[in-house]
Amino acid sequence: VTIEVEIDGRRRQVTLRRQGSRWVAALDGREIAVSVVERGDHWSMLVNPAEAGLHDLSRISSEVESGFSRISREEVESGSSRISREVESGSSRISREVESGFSRISREVESGFSRISYEVSFEAGANGDLIVHVNGVAVPVTIVDRRRRRAGSGEAGSDTQPRTIVAPMPGRIVRVLVQPGEAVEARQGLVVVEAMKMENELRAPRSGTVAEVRVREGASVEANAVLVVLR
Amino acid sequence: LRKILVANRGEIAVRVIRACRDLRLASVAVYSDCDRGARHVRMADEAVAIGGSPPADSYLRIDRIIDAARASGADAVHPGYGFLAENEAFAGACRDAGLTFIGPTPEAIALMGSKTAARQAAAAAGVAVVPGTDAPLGGSVTDDEIAGLADRTGYPVMVKAVAGGGGKGMRVAGERAELASAVRAARSEAGAAFGDSAIYLERRLTRPRHVEVQVLGDQHGGVLPFVERECSIQRRHQKVVEESPSPVVAADLRTRMTSAAASVAASVGYTNAGTVEFLLDADGRFYFLEMNTRLQVEHPITEMVTGIDLVEWQIRIARGERLTIDPARALSPAGHAIECRVYAEDPDSGFMPSPGRVTALRVPGGPGIRDDGGLEAGDEVPIYYDALISKLVAWGEDRQQAVVRMRRALAEYEVQGIRTTVPFFRWLLDNPAFRDAAFHTEFLDTLLQQRRGTAFFEPDSSLQEVAVVAAAIHASREPRPVAAVSASDTWARQAKVESLRG
Repeated sequence: VTIEVEIDGRRRQVTLRRQGSRWVAALDGREIAVSVVERGDHWSMLVNPAEAGLHDLSRISSEVESGFSRISREEVESGSSRISREVESGSSRISREVESGFSRISREVESGFSRISYEVSFEAGANGDLIVHVNGVAVPVTIVDRRRRRAGSGEAGSDTQPRTIVAPMPGRIVRVLVQPGEAVEARQGLVVVEAMKMENELRAPRSGTVAEVRVREGASVEANAVLVVLR
Repeated sequence: LRKILVANRGEIAVRVIRACRDLRLASVAVYSDCDRGARHVRMADEAVAIGGSPPADSYLRIDRIIDAARASGADAVHPGYGFLAENEAFAGACRDAGLTFIGPTPEAIALMGSKTAARQAAAAAGVAVVPGTDAPLGGSVTDDEIAGLADRTGYPVMVKAVAGGGGKGMRVAGERAELASAVRAARSEAGAAFGDSAIYLERRLTRPRHVEVQVLGDQHGGVLPFVERECSIQRRHQKVVEESPSPVVAADLRTRMTSAAASVAASVGYTNAGTVEFLLDADGRFYFLEMNTRLQVEHPITEMVTGIDLVEWQIRIARGERLTIDPARALSPAGHAIECRVYAEDPDSGFMPSPGRVTALRVPGGPGIRDDGGLEAGDEVPIYYDALISKLVAWGEDRQQAVVRMRRALAEYEVQGIRTTVPFFRWLLDNPAFRDAAFHTEFLDTLLQQRRGTAFFEPDSSLQEVAVVAAAIHASREPRPVAAVSASDTWARQAKVESLRG
């Protein structure tokens, strides 16, 4: 099965297949082995790029295994390669990204490339988005296929799907910052609502065009009232 | 004392109920309509309804709270902080009803509640105050007269509400041209918030630190100051992170500041817990700012470095006990403590309040971590009240260890269903200026302005890839509904049934 997932405005294709108790996920053509165990609402995911050959590990792993216990942070930073974030020496973990001269390793790398453990849980976001919590960090994504199915017709692609901006709580509209037909960038302010004695700016969740503005300045709104519709 | 009514809600009500348990005292919660199922109600021994959800209909109703105390047979009232904690009419009503008010006398609350009277009291006790006007400037004082006073005070000048507190009714005028509008804004905000539009002027110090001293006073004339707290990290005049001891206060300065605080408290016959706030300039001179006549949100950091339970002592003082704490223990910090105020606010949308149901919650633990929270999974953060949901505190042998532990705790903290300020704190603790303790009261606002709304945490590509793969696996096994943010219990139960079938 192939599923399209939108993240940060980019579409990524994931092809999944079962391999015994595990999954092999091909992410934009690169394969990753994944083991999933469900504990109530939380998943434990063990991710193994090595087994599925995500990176050219034969060339990198020996260097990493032999190298990092000896290479100090300064040496690495000043050399041809670059290490962002912390590198701990010895057998402990190397956190975050390591860019080497060969290829980019984009995940936590444990010495010897054994399985990397992630805690994952899911939450429904606004507008049918899915918020994936990975190690306590919220990452919003959209399942493109699912949205098509919900729309009930094949031609309703994600780009034409309207997006509504709703009032998060009862309040009063202080300012309307956009007009119908206006193009907006992601995170651009749309409407200022006063609630809980604070002025709050509601921003565009993504770029698009303002299809409708359903409120006027000075109006009182109930929670979940639709304020602006994006196209 | 046998039974204490807690006239508050949320995390501070939970904190006070815990102190009651430790002292083997019964506790009575009060609740508004939307708080019927709240944690403080579930936790207390008894609970009494006091009205509608808006604070003015319940937690601010002196008459109903006194009635609730009578009906439940409580003999004392703890006000927590916020709501009626610094309301002398409430303290007086408790006294008139024969209830012990766990706090200072109505007279002390009234005196220190007037910022100008408090400044005079501090000056009389020999403590320097921030240069400014001595008398309240009521509505009849003209703009010209205020401009004349501001010229004498010196610009930039702070225009502050006499009845102020919590950062409300405060404006800055950088020059004379800005003064009239600053006065108008401060007056209207103060009138709305406190029912008193009188203001006063204070010179605005350059990049001061906010350093404060906790005091306890017993009913026998004993006053005890504690090691200082550093509260310079503020957003729009609201404290965000506090620590104790202050990274810049050496032993000699500590002695002078804590004795000054004790003098101010003793000079007004202060009893129970209170806090004397100072501004500390770059040259190590400190000025009295105001006195808070209640327990402070940041009290746990003092508890962590002294090992003294301040809420328990509030109750013991109220029932007439003498302060028997060794003064050296209160003044010599053991290690270092940091507090992050976790709010139900979305830091990535300009700290917009984020009320709603908490669908999942994992609070951190382990060595040196204390989470004083008011929520469990399934609880609701209502729209009506302060959005503080938890005080996360880390203790370490020194500042560095406390910071490391706080980062660990923030990484473990997981809240779903609402947004919180946890990602903002993860970012702040990595900030070099924070690590070097190189901050002042305007530090955070300046920093946030420079960021112009950049997201506080951009998941790196590895987390993004894991999220994409997880989402794909999740989607491939539909139908498996995800608990929606606003899911009702029935809906969630149905979802569970379906997922079990899946």
